[in-house]
Amino acid sequence: MDFTEFKRKLGAEPRSSDPEFLAARNASAEHREAAAAAERFEERLEQALDIPVPSDLAAGLLDAPGRRQRRRRWPLALAASLVVAVGAAGLVYRSSHSWESVEAYVLDHYRHDGAKVLELAADGPAGDVQEVLGAFGLQAEPVLAGMVRLVKFCPAPGGKGAHMVLDTESGPVTVFYLPGTRVNDRQMIDFDGRQAMLVSLEHGAAVIVGGTGRSPAAYYTVVHDAIVPFDRRS
Amino acid sequence: MLSEIQRIKRFEVLAREYSADLFRYAMWMCGNEALARDLVQETFLRAWKALHRLQDEKAAKSWLITILRREYARTFERKVPPIANLDTVSEPESGEPGPDEQAEVSLLRAGIASLEEKYREPLLMQVVMGYSCQEIADELGISKNAVMTQLFRARQQLKEKLGKDGTTGNVHGLY
Repeated sequence: MDFTEFKRKLGAEPRSSDPEFLAARNASAEHREAAAAAERFEERLEQALDIPVPSDLAAGLLDAPGRRQRRRRWPLALAASLVVAVGAAGLVYRSSHSWESVEAYVLDHYRHDGAKVLELAADGPAGDVQEVLGAFGLQAEPVLAGMVRLVKFCPAPGGKGAHMVLDTESGPVTVFYLPGTRVNDRQMIDFDGRQAMLVSLEHGAAVIVGGTGRSPAAYYTVVHDAIVPFDRRS
Repeated sequence: MLSEIQRIKRFEVLAREYSADLFRYAMWMCGNEALARDLVQETFLRAWKALHRLQDEKAAKSWLITILRREYARTFERKVPPIANLDTVSEPESGEPGPDEQAEVSLLRAGIASLEEKYREPLLMQVVMGYSCQEIADELGISKNAVMTQLFRARQQLKEKLGKDGTTGNVHGLY
């Protein structure tokens, strides 16, 4: 294979496994240099094309019309594994996003997957609250642990946070835990017909998002008092 | 004939295996996250309905991409949307590129978005979907040589774009 043909092949199919092409890569210093440059370009091209995928894409597909009813009967393990997958993808998706304010974060996060995570929680319990909070050096007091229906890692202003769904008498309530974030305690945020309440914690903050038309204030105390450092558990 | 359990399991495998790449493909074709998501959703909805027609698991990827391309064509029969600035999306977590690399990736993204569709699409099939030139030729209904020419020109244009914008020394090392 002459150099012109080799260059053409490099530009069209640089990862070709054609034996003649592979042999030509080492035919001369000129060939080797061209192959190395092409490889560098391919790596950069792959980086450029590798855009993040929405964290709830797979869950959305499984919820497609006509399949919804069936999925609800799927085993708990499947729902749990999906939560883990959704959570992991979410971290990648938002890993380098920044938000102008906690308010902006709450809106962005809840609109992104708030409803989807509530749906997953409706399918059955998932996640281990002590394991997730343990990653932040925290534990949940029994009063809170007993209410957590679903928990997963999620993106947060400081990097990684936790996303929980609590089972309450008035329906599911969403709680975000944001490590290292400071907020105005008890500040309320109104959005999309619902209210969120900011909770200042010793090592970060939490956000309680109530259901449509329901105040999250009733859960302030349990969230504020029951997310505690390992060494402070009562 | 597939049982319902088999059908669900099979669908689950397809969704897990291909949804991310199909989304990236759709995103690069239409440049809009909501539209790309709809395209993927519609693709899998059609796949779900016609799952019994997929005889060979090895053909799943090409079956799905064919459905997605058909949906894309249907959606944009009359209007080709401009490609949004895909550089506003975040980088994947791994590998934290340095400033030079980020500049190159930004330029490349702008370059890919500005490629004519006849160059961009085979490039996406090759790099995002992992197609061979022959598979691209089969999908697009053109000769393998034509595919190779388009791929060569696509890369050429991207390299020129990087060169023209004269960024870091790394860029020149890409040739």
